[in-house]
Amino acid sequence: MRVSVLQENLQRALNIVTRAVPSRPTLPILNNVMISTDNARIKLSATNLDLGIHVWIGGSVDEEGATTVPAKLFYDLVSILSPERIDLNLDKRTQTLYLHCGGNNNQIKCIDAVEFPIIPEADASTGIAVPALEFKRMIELVAFSASKEENKPVLAGILTRMEGNTLIMAATDGYRLSECRAVLERGATTSFQVIIPARALFELSRIISDADEDVLISLPEGRRQVMFHLNNVDVVSSLIDGTFPDYERAIPKNFQTITTVYTEDLLRSARRAAIFARDNADTTQMHIRPPEGTHTHGEVVLSSSSAEKGSNESLIDASVEGAPLEIALNVRYLLEVLGVVGDDQIEICTNTSSDACLIRPYHNDEYRQFQHVIMPMRINN
Amino acid sequence: MPIRVLPTLLAAQIAAGEVIERPASVVKELIENALDAGATALNIEIHGSGTKLLRVRDNGHGIPANELELAIARHATSKIQSVDDLNHIRTLGFRGEALHSIAAVSRLTLTSCHHKQPTGAQLIAEGGQIKDIRSVGSAIGTTVEVADLFYNVPARRKFLKSDATEKRHVVAVVNQYAMAYPKVRFQLIIDGRETFHTSGNGKLGDVIVAVMGLDTFRSMIEVAPLAPLRDDLPFIEVYGFTTLPEVNRANRSHIYLFVNGRAITDQRLTYAVVQAYHTLIPSGRYPLAVLMINIDPEDVDVNVHPTKAEVRFRSPDAVFSAVQRTVRHAITQKMSPVHVRQTPTPEIDTDTKQATWPPSSTSSISKSSTSPTNSKRRQQLDFDLDTPNIGRYSHQIGQSQTDEAFLEEANYPHDEIVSPPYIQPKESDDPTAIPITIGKPKRPRTLPILRVVGQLKATYIITEGPAGMYLIDQHAAHERILYEELMAAYSQKQVITQQVLDTFILELGSAQSQALFTYKDELANVGFTFEEFGRNTFKVISVPALLSDRDPAQVLYGLLDDLANGDPAGEAEIEAKIVKRICKGIAVKAGQVLSHHEMQNLVHQLERCENPFTCPHGRPTFIHLSNEALEREFGRA
Repeated sequence: MRVSVLQENLQRALNIVTRAVPSRPTLPILNNVMISTDNARIKLSATNLDLGIHVWIGGSVDEEGATTVPAKLFYDLVSILSPERIDLNLDKRTQTLYLHCGGNNNQIKCIDAVEFPIIPEADASTGIAVPALEFKRMIELVAFSASKEENKPVLAGILTRMEGNTLIMAATDGYRLSECRAVLERGATTSFQVIIPARALFELSRIISDADEDVLISLPEGRRQVMFHLNNVDVVSSLIDGTFPDYERAIPKNFQTITTVYTEDLLRSARRAAIFARDNADTTQMHIRPPEGTHTHGEVVLSSSSAEKGSNESLIDASVEGAPLEIALNVRYLLEVLGVVGDDQIEICTNTSSDACLIRPYHNDEYRQFQHVIMPMRINN
Repeated sequence: MPIRVLPTLLAAQIAAGEVIERPASVVKELIENALDAGATALNIEIHGSGTKLLRVRDNGHGIPANELELAIARHATSKIQSVDDLNHIRTLGFRGEALHSIAAVSRLTLTSCHHKQPTGAQLIAEGGQIKDIRSVGSAIGTTVEVADLFYNVPARRKFLKSDATEKRHVVAVVNQYAMAYPKVRFQLIIDGRETFHTSGNGKLGDVIVAVMGLDTFRSMIEVAPLAPLRDDLPFIEVYGFTTLPEVNRANRSHIYLFVNGRAITDQRLTYAVVQAYHTLIPSGRYPLAVLMINIDPEDVDVNVHPTKAEVRFRSPDAVFSAVQRTVRHAITQKMSPVHVRQTPTPEIDTDTKQATWPPSSTSSISKSSTSPTNSKRRQQLDFDLDTPNIGRYSHQIGQSQTDEAFLEEANYPHDEIVSPPYIQPKESDDPTAIPITIGKPKRPRTLPILRVVGQLKATYIITEGPAGMYLIDQHAAHERILYEELMAAYSQKQVITQQVLDTFILELGSAQSQALFTYKDELANVGFTFEEFGRNTFKVISVPALLSDRDPAQVLYGLLDDLANGDPAGEAEIEAKIVKRICKGIAVKAGQVLSHHEMQNLVHQLERCENPFTCPHGRPTFIHLSNEALEREFGRA
């Protein structure tokens, strides 16, 4: 194999592809990035067996071939080379890659490409097209609610469902849940329902750039995999088997109190509350008070306390419809949802202090609807 | 095939399979018979792995000549007579199977002389068939000679391990009984060489020396029985010996438990012993212990297993807690810092060890110390400076710390220390304690006042105490301080629960659902609540907030495991979190330069930890180089 590429192209590609390199690989070969020629382009691939990424970059191919290069070493080296042309020349017999860049010469010991697991490539002709930035936004709204624990895989995944021309994504860790529905302008031909690991979608959302117009999602039959195709990047992830909890049952439909507040106000109060809530299992109390007369505001008081450190209370103006309420919430959950909600105002929809609390953007638009449910906490005396 | 009654020999061989597994089982059964016959001296002899020849001779009351034939019959015993006897068994055997089983699988010679008869008799049997009975001259007592064990059971012979392994098992069995019966003289001869003997003087300590060696025994402390916590609890006497935390092994096999003189294996009780060392020894390491548990025979069922290795207690929790409490009490009373290892002559070595621990045959609770050096060394660990007549406030400590006269004055007998039970809120259990701040009583002192000399490698704090130099690991010490503080704070906290989304349905196995109902109240106390949703199906309503970073099902399994082990639900996990937080986050790290004031403060806090000797992971917080050791090293002594 003899190829030439530009340093910045190679660095960008490695930056993407190394996300799939496992931190503690079970197979030594997974430590490596495969570099191969694909017609007139150069392809870089990496996988941890659950998640696989291909990236194509332009360059000149003088001789076809393939090998696998230690990922960390390659990335560390390339990222500090000068922005020039890099010539890569593989000695097939010794599996040594000669890397020249300007006056810099390196020899890298490689492992034969035949040992590298085969990562399927997406077939660009099938699958549904979703506007890439819209998809990225949906992942952002939903993925944080997925469980970080690996021992219940279903909860570490994101339910992704296509119904007619509506794409629905939902995630829950058992204590809170996010659901996002978006209407796609170009309707899908098939409906499906799969659970995709949150980690894969998270990596995908980081890869999606402004330059990407559409992401093609395809589900090859009988392979328990999902493939995402972008310009020059393919991401392949295994799907999670299992039944996703019937989350829709947990979303309350009727409310006794609906409170509208400015997101920024609540976010700042929650940050302050979080400081004092740290030693108290992150508990914060939310008092919702409807207006007393016709000419006053309603208000929300967020308070937290720690037996050793002291206490905190913030009062914010709110428009409150319904009965007053005192409810305890995990302030971390509140912070996370407020951080992604994206609207300048939100609605907090509640019933009693032991019922689920629903948070949604005030301007939930027609094309994308987001709702988040947090289960309250209880303090037993 | 038609149903048939099995021939006697075949039935006997099947029965023997349960009781007689290997030569060691023969030894065990014969020792039990001898002990039940009131023997005070036992001689055990084996050749080869014990399959060739195995002889057990005792000086018990013997078997009358006319009963010899019956002795090897099935279900024939002199030990019990009625079903009623089964409920309060005071003998080791009672099933009437041992001799019968042994006879079925070997060539057996049984020679016995009853203490009321002038001559003895001898019975020779082969594969259970009596070949000959004749009278012979013999000393009072019984000798059982088992030759060609398993000669007629090739399958069993094939499964025997190497000679060395089988010998090891025999030695282990003899050791066990020797420990259980210190009043009986045991002698074990293997291939003509005496490998083990005890004097039969009734001192458990002497037997342990023979079993575990003198060095190990020196590192052991005596466990003395404690009165039950409440009057309504049954009296369970636990005594014996256990090691200091710094002596430990990689497995549990050195924890010997005896219930009413019967060696038993019981995972829960072994766990109780290990649990007593919680945070004192590193995880994955286990103490060595020999513990006798005496309990009313009515409260224990030994008729569970043919080899009687397992027993059942009427109230297992009470036994568990008695074992754990007694052992914990013994160690916390006696813990000392890790001593600097002495390199020079072995003579000096033994000297230090003895000085640290007076010969363990003296009771650990009694004040008796064998030499002046001992008592001196002891005082610096044990005296309690928090007695009411010393009026000092925290800001005065600095001035009085080097005051020798004050230290003299504070020299109180060491059994006055009230060490509060483990992991308890540091509430004002001592009303006379001097407050550090208003309303916050000081805890009793567990270490003498230490003067900070300086810092070494930005990792160790050098301090001076009345009995020499203490080298403190700043990270470990701070971990211990924070651990005690945070655990106390946690136990005083309100229970906060996190509710779970409606959709969380757990489908459990029937055993787990049963456990769920059994522990319903305990679970609710820590914040785990649920609703029944169908057969073996439950809806989780809430989980403890501190554990809500995990999936509800995992939280439940963790809680159920804790409860099944007899631990407070969820505490282990929460504790692990606290320890991790301390270790990774807030404790001072090695390599951090501390000011004199900071070090002094750290040392002050350590002086009042309930257990200042180890960090929560079980590593030592400090090592002690005594004045004597320093003097010896410099040749001044």
